[in-house]
Amino acid sequence: MGLLALAAVAGLAAVERRGFLQAMLSRPVMLGPLCGLALGDGGTGLFLGATLELLFLGAVSLGASMALHETVATAAIAGGAAIAGQRLGGQAVAGAALAVALGLPLALAGRLSEAAFDRSNQRLDERARRLLLAGDVRGAMRCNLLGLAAPFSLSALLAPLGAVAIGAAATAVLGAFPHLARPLELGFAAFAALACAAAARALRSARAPFFFFGSAAGALAALALGRLHR
Amino acid sequence: MSLAPRTLARVFWRCLFLQAAWNPRGMQNLGFAYAIDPALRELYPEPAARQAALVRHLGFFNSHPYMAAAIVGGAIHHEERVARGEEAADQPLAYKATLQGPLAAVGDGFFWTALRPLFGAAAALGVLALGWPALLAAVLLYNAVHLWLRYRLLRDGYLHGDEVVLDIRALCLPAWADRVRLLAAVMAGLAAALVVDRAAGGTAGALLSAGAAVAGFLLLGRRAPLLPLAYAALLAGVAVGLLSGVGGS
Repeated sequence: MGLLALAAVAGLAAVERRGFLQAMLSRPVMLGPLCGLALGDGGTGLFLGATLELLFLGAVSLGASMALHETVATAAIAGGAAIAGQRLGGQAVAGAALAVALGLPLALAGRLSEAAFDRSNQRLDERARRLLLAGDVRGAMRCNLLGLAAPFSLSALLAPLGAVAIGAAATAVLGAFPHLARPLELGFAAFAALACAAAARALRSARAPFFFFGSAAGALAALALGRLHR
Repeated sequence: MSLAPRTLARVFWRCLFLQAAWNPRGMQNLGFAYAIDPALRELYPEPAARQAALVRHLGFFNSHPYMAAAIVGGAIHHEERVARGEEAADQPLAYKATLQGPLAAVGDGFFWTALRPLFGAAAALGVLALGWPALLAAVLLYNAVHLWLRYRLLRDGYLHGDEVVLDIRALCLPAWADRVRLLAAVMAGLAAALVVDRAAGGTAGALLSAGAAVAGFLLLGRRAPLLPLAYAALLAGVAVGLLSGVGGS
């Protein structure tokens, strides 16, 4: 049941990402917790979604360039981390680190699939023209909505399959090598810090580095001072 | 202006599907025809005239999906004049061709590289600091702004035609974009501080995270690819953990 819910959430998110609405509902920060919730672990999805949002903050298709498919990767990673977290108990962060390592290539696979779907949509364009010339206006207009079917289907298939595979692999690795749990937590911390840097780089402004490092340094100093006063 | 409010509402709803069948040849052409269809149905009661108008709008179209609302509205404005016999049938196409490029640039610069990253970074920071309520607040606020702007652009395009350009200029989106990006950089910086502060492994973990942020920032500036860097950060953390005995046995 949880996997069906994950398939539905991931499929709808893939549609929302580009074909319909584009209201941030398919962004990792929103999708991560939704996918986690679908599998009964919203908490893991919440912190994973926030980290992946920062990593993929610059993932946007401008002109002919095509961005990494953050949606399908997030759905599989958050789902896989939720499965691993439930099986492993108190090793949620280590499971999340492994889920990230195993699931990131899906962002590349999603991008390749999206390019293929775009090419196949040309057939819908030709069909719409034919129907319109034959006087079937309703049928011609329906061709636009048919373009949503492929991204929905692919994501609804890839996300649960990926989540199951990632969950099983992460569980097996941490079951066989439990001493890797703490180093993996350290690895996740380094990954999350890199994600913050990627977010700052995604902001195409010459002054962004000063604001990024300035606010980080200021906040760290404030946190340290707060500890000293306590 | 004679279009029924219900028809304009239907056009607005259909504008949300502008990129449903995006394709390399016509790009958003099918979506544009789909969006404008309810208005053409009202403007051209005769099926042959409506069909001819729809064929016109199946030509190449590509703009920013939010800003395209202004072009859909303006095209309806021109189609209304065509239907009344006040304009030649190619005027709506000339309007689309003139505006689609500039509005794509404005929309990409403001929404995709400034406003959405700001709300993404704010939501991520909010999640790290406060949890669910911050996430919901960020997404609701983003959509209040984005849906209001999309509807306003459609309505202004329909009511003012070519003069919608003045309305868009009055919004000063390019000027706002740079300020919004800087605010997003502050959010990303605060998130980085939280990540470093809460890093596993005590001082070693904090130093490792800070190093990953600085090195990542520098390497991404030199166009290093994102995913290999993500793996490098993960592996570096695991290696430091194993070498320093953080895992224990």
